Amino acid sequence: MKWGMVVDLSKCVRCYGCVVACRIEHFWSISHDWLRLMAVEPDRNGTSPVVSTYPVRCNQCQEAPCVKVCPTGATYKREDGIVAVDQDKCVGCRYCVVVCPYQNRVFLTKNKDKGFFSGKGLTGFERAGKRLYPHQYGTTGKCNSCMERIDAGQAKGLKPGVDREATPACVNTCQARALTFGDLDCFESQVSKLIRERGGLQLHPEYVSNPSVYYVDRQRIGMFEFRTEAEADGERPLSERT
Amino acid sequence: MEAHEWMVRSTYQTEWITQRGIFLWLAMYTGGLGGGFYLVSLYFNSFIGMLISLLIVAGLKGGFHFAYLGKPLRFWRILFRPKTSWLTRGFIFVVLFVGFAAIQLILSHWLPGTAWEILLKILAGLMAIGIIVYTGFVLNTVKAVSLWNSPLLPLLFAMCGLLGGFGLSTVIALYGGHVDLQAAETGSSWLLVINSLLIAVYLWRTVQKDETGKKSVMDQMRGRVAPAFWIGVIGLGIVAPLAVTLFSFLSGEVIPAVLIAGVICEMIGGLSVRYCLLKVGIYKPLFPRPSYLKP
Repeated sequence: MKWGMVVDLSKCVRCYGCVVACRIEHFWSISHDWLRLMAVEPDRNGTSPVVSTYPVRCNQCQEAPCVKVCPTGATYKREDGIVAVDQDKCVGCRYCVVVCPYQNRVFLTKNKDKGFFSGKGLTGFERAGKRLYPHQYGTTGKCNSCMERIDAGQAKGLKPGVDREATPACVNTCQARALTFGDLDCFESQVSKLIRERGGLQLHPEYVSNPSVYYVDRQRIGMFEFRTEAEADGERPLSERT
Repeated sequence: MEAHEWMVRSTYQTEWITQRGIFLWLAMYTGGLGGGFYLVSLYFNSFIGMLISLLIVAGLKGGFHFAYLGKPLRFWRILFRPKTSWLTRGFIFVVLFVGFAAIQLILSHWLPGTAWEILLKILAGLMAIGIIVYTGFVLNTVKAVSLWNSPLLPLLFAMCGLLGGFGLSTVIALYGGHVDLQAAETGSSWLLVINSLLIAVYLWRTVQKDETGKKSVMDQMRGRVAPAFWIGVIGLGIVAPLAVTLFSFLSGEVIPAVLIAGVICEMIGGLSVRYCLLKVGIYKPLFPRPSYLKP
């Protein structure tokens, strides 16, 4: 079993629902995000009105560089493929933050955590969050694919990716159904089908980190006639790599 | 809605050079300096040199690391992942170096010439080699930063450490610390030349590597880090010490103030090398870059 996610770029409407759902689920303040949305307008002249949006979060790499370099074992890979952080073990060296080629890890500092209304104290929700989901300052954090939900759901016999209670919050929230979660090892799972049928792409495969997050909609990716770093290096274009 | 530029543009790493990251930069430098100084002091068999190098590694490097860590009291946890993490390996080098060097200095003082003293000198020397190279390997593992992902980096850091070691040995020699002044100066001069060539080859290879590497080097030479590179690395780190050496060679006289000034310049150069490397560590963009965004 290996949990993974497929992001359908053609469906994302850039509502930021996933970002907000992640904040609520993990009681994040406004300045720390595990999930981000990148939006690019490919043509300023108006000849192509399409706006592309890339939701990004930890890629849960199967050959995760952050796991390899962590000097304490605080970052570890679970049997189901989720890369998690044990904040009780983290010393805050930030090697994992620096080594992540996707820049998807955050270092938690008190300076940044000023609450939603900066300078006006924490809201009741934020105070409750600090008790229910205590993040430790001076350590690192990252998206954990809502592993608490997955574990609790599976304990009840639910199936992640199918049953909402066992599925990551961002996937549940996505109104456009751009996010799909499931077992990458299962041939019949929705994620496997999407990757197979629509040509799922991993970001920067040249790093050999084997991400568990795939992006589909080759047309939209291919629409960007951009010269990537890899292409500059003489490799095949991203849109032609599967 | 603005695009997150860190995803479509090359972005700078900041964790290891801004805010508390400054301590890591200082720790990297003092580690190289302390390790290099111990090795050079071992060569000259200078007790005071070895003692100072131990203090530099244990006090300064250790202190800077302590100040940098987010949870410093958990530092002992770093010991247990030597199989995959260069940070753990480095920490082990430092701990063993401090232990071996401390015992060796005690033996050198009270029981000089014994087999145990020689054995501990060898062991501490090996750990010192580990200390001067491991930071290069730490940076080398970051694949997304083209400037760092180079096999030349550990060698460059080792040579910079030894250069600093020869510089401090020159100062020790001036104050009668059982160091051959001429040999220390000669060592410094050769290492300055070797370091200059190494830096040139390293930067050239990075430019050849890919677009991000080229951007890093260009930024170092023409961009926001250019003053640190041209004044710190080239001017104070290479040209000034070479001029001091040339002056001493041609005039045939030793002026302590000039030599010390040369050593200080060398040290600023060593600090600048690491500063530049950390400051222009640039990540490749996460996504393809739109054509209208200039690189």
